[in-house]
Amino acid sequence: MAARISSRQQIALHVVAALVANYVFTWGFIALGVAGLFAAGTEFHDAESLASMLGLLVFLTAFLWTFAARSLPRACLVLVGGGALMAGTASLIQALLIRAY
Amino acid sequence: MRDALLLIAAFVTSIAGMGWLALSMDVHWRQVCGNAFGSPAPTKRLRALGTLGLGTSLVLCLSVNHASIASLVWVMALTAAAFSIAFILTWRAHWLRLLFPPARPTAG
Amino acid sequence: MFQSFRSAMTWIHTWFGLVLGFVLMGAFFFGALCVFDREIDKWAIPEARFEVQPMPSFDRVLLPEFEAMSPSLETMQIWGIVADNRSSLIDLVSIHETSAQGDARTERVVKMLDPRTGKVTNGDHFKIGSEFFYPLHYSLTLDWQGLGEWIVAFSGMMMLAALISGIVIHRKLFREFFTFRPGKGFRRSTLDLHNLTGVVALPFHFFFAFTGVLIFVGQYFPIGTTQLAQLHELHEQLEIGESKIPTERSGHAAPLASVDAMMAEARRRWAAHGMPGEVGVIHLRFVGDANAHVAIYPAATNSLQDLLNGVHFNGATGAVLQVDPAPNAVQQVAGFLTGLHLQPFRHWPLRWLYALGGLAGCVCIATGLLFFVEKRKHQHAKQGSQAIHVVDALAVTTVTGMVIATLGILIVNRLLPDTLPAGWPRHDDLERYAFWFAWLLAMAHAFWRTAPVAQGRMAPAWVEQCWTITVMSVTAVLLNWITTGDHLLRTLSDTYWPVAGLDLALLTVAAIAALAGRKIKRRAENASMIAESVAQDAARA
Repeated sequence: MAARISSRQQIALHVVAALVANYVFTWGFIALGVAGLFAAGTEFHDAESLASMLGLLVFLTAFLWTFAARSLPRACLVLVGGGALMAGTASLIQALLIRAY
Repeated sequence: MRDALLLIAAFVTSIAGMGWLALSMDVHWRQVCGNAFGSPAPTKRLRALGTLGLGTSLVLCLSVNHASIASLVWVMALTAAAFSIAFILTWRAHWLRLLFPPARPTAG
Repeated sequence: MFQSFRSAMTWIHTWFGLVLGFVLMGAFFFGALCVFDREIDKWAIPEARFEVQPMPSFDRVLLPEFEAMSPSLETMQIWGIVADNRSSLIDLVSIHETSAQGDARTERVVKMLDPRTGKVTNGDHFKIGSEFFYPLHYSLTLDWQGLGEWIVAFSGMMMLAALISGIVIHRKLFREFFTFRPGKGFRRSTLDLHNLTGVVALPFHFFFAFTGVLIFVGQYFPIGTTQLAQLHELHEQLEIGESKIPTERSGHAAPLASVDAMMAEARRRWAAHGMPGEVGVIHLRFVGDANAHVAIYPAATNSLQDLLNGVHFNGATGAVLQVDPAPNAVQQVAGFLTGLHLQPFRHWPLRWLYALGGLAGCVCIATGLLFFVEKRKHQHAKQGSQAIHVVDALAVTTVTGMVIATLGILIVNRLLPDTLPAGWPRHDDLERYAFWFAWLLAMAHAFWRTAPVAQGRMAPAWVEQCWTITVMSVTAVLLNWITTGDHLLRTLSDTYWPVAGLDLALLTVAAIAALAGRKIKRRAENASMIAESVAQDAARA
């Protein structure tokens, strides 16, 4: 259940954690977007454009969700995990494409 | 010159449109018509007029510029129009009686 | 973490709004001024006060200047010409290798040319609008490791969060859409104005913050140059076969063909495609080589769709190598979004509406700060906390202090002589120091004169800075007259709007500041009269 924030340091820590977690998640999203779109035939810079545009909106939404979620630490873990997974997949796609050419 | 007149017309229709939308709200209807006027605002008619005003404004903007610029001009014109109506309601609410002539306060 | 969605959104809106509101005020204020950046440049550089001219002949006028700027043709990397349709002076940029000071390095030299006479202006004139206020609004001119750009981008994202959270916590979004009640007490009217400027201009605020961050997004998420750099290289290798643009010198010398003829050909092609226009930008590479490359781009028109129609020529033969392809869907969307922010168009009604939106953003942030202070001032006074003093002082610093700094740089610009004594710093450095020094003074004054807030009273700093603004604005206009002879009667009768417009704006600022100062003073006097009579009643009772 939700517990009220007590100390200032705890708040600061939560904010930093939220920012880092959302950055990682957004990075993963954009990386996967670029790699996936490029693999599907989109021109590289167009893939970057599109993935970045959506990425900023993803950051905004995920950031608001992080604070609205019942447990901020758990939300951060989900975001970092998801981000790492997406980034990993992007690197995998990159490796496969390099090998193919 | 033609472009300037069309843009002025676009701004005028967007002010009128915002004015009608404001009047469709009870609080502003009472502000403009005074408490002497008993009947509630003809909401549906005012909202329809408001939408018509805003739509006409968009058409006028599109007749002057390419859609990529006209869309921006329209959105910003609506913003300026809404500010204008808000400040008119604050300081000169009776000016909005121009928008709905039947809306004059009746005695009693 | 929070009891409810609403309380989470309230917390985000309040605290991120408070901390980053100070940065956002700067971004919105200087961003709004940048709508008129070229006009401000003309006020600051009297030599530039003439009507915009078409691009002069490259072969006869510009080529000799470039040859003078770069040490030799072998070491030149890029020559650039920028003649957008709002600047009167034309920018000539030469990037070349030089070993002038011992070791070899790349140098960038910029000169401004008067197209009417072909003369290059000497001196280190400071384009206060496009070279100071512009980078100030997106980077606070804090260039160490791009820190300033990161701070502003983060603030921009938090602006988006503040807009969304603001909508969530605003209970009467539609009912109070047109509501502003200045008679209902300071707290209510401040909140009304905050809500009005935030909601009515919401599309503007959202799109400007979003597109602002989007423009530099490659710096914040440099995925294509780090994690997916290999993929980027793969793409370049696949592309090389398709592009006809040379990427290096051939080694065979060949003189530059007529660039004027290339410009005429570019204009002919644009007109043939139904998008007639003037030449805006020219890039030249490998000049003097058989692989010389000349790229010609159009000056902006009133559309956000034809910005990518560059025509590429072989510099030695004058033949067309390729024309930039028409943008695809993604490029059109990206071009629209960045163009909406960067405003390469000449549509003056829209530009003025943009300035209005920017000012609305400033009012939204300022009223937010004022509401925060008003709401907590009495609480903090009872608790003996100094925190509210700090917040109010920072509010004064960012609202009136920022205007004072802006006026300071304009005044110093007019006071500095054309040629400075030997050993003095350059014009641009001096004017920059003046700006920051004026702001620092304003901040010191703000902290000194907001002490009463900690006792729940009103700070005299606000009134005093309002009067300072009035005096400084009028001084700036007078100095313009004294130092250039361009007084309002002359600039209005000649209808030279860049200078007349800025002078009129300065006088308007003076009037608004004076009115605001008087109103605040009256309110403070009323409040202290009431407090006195309450104390007298209590003493009598």
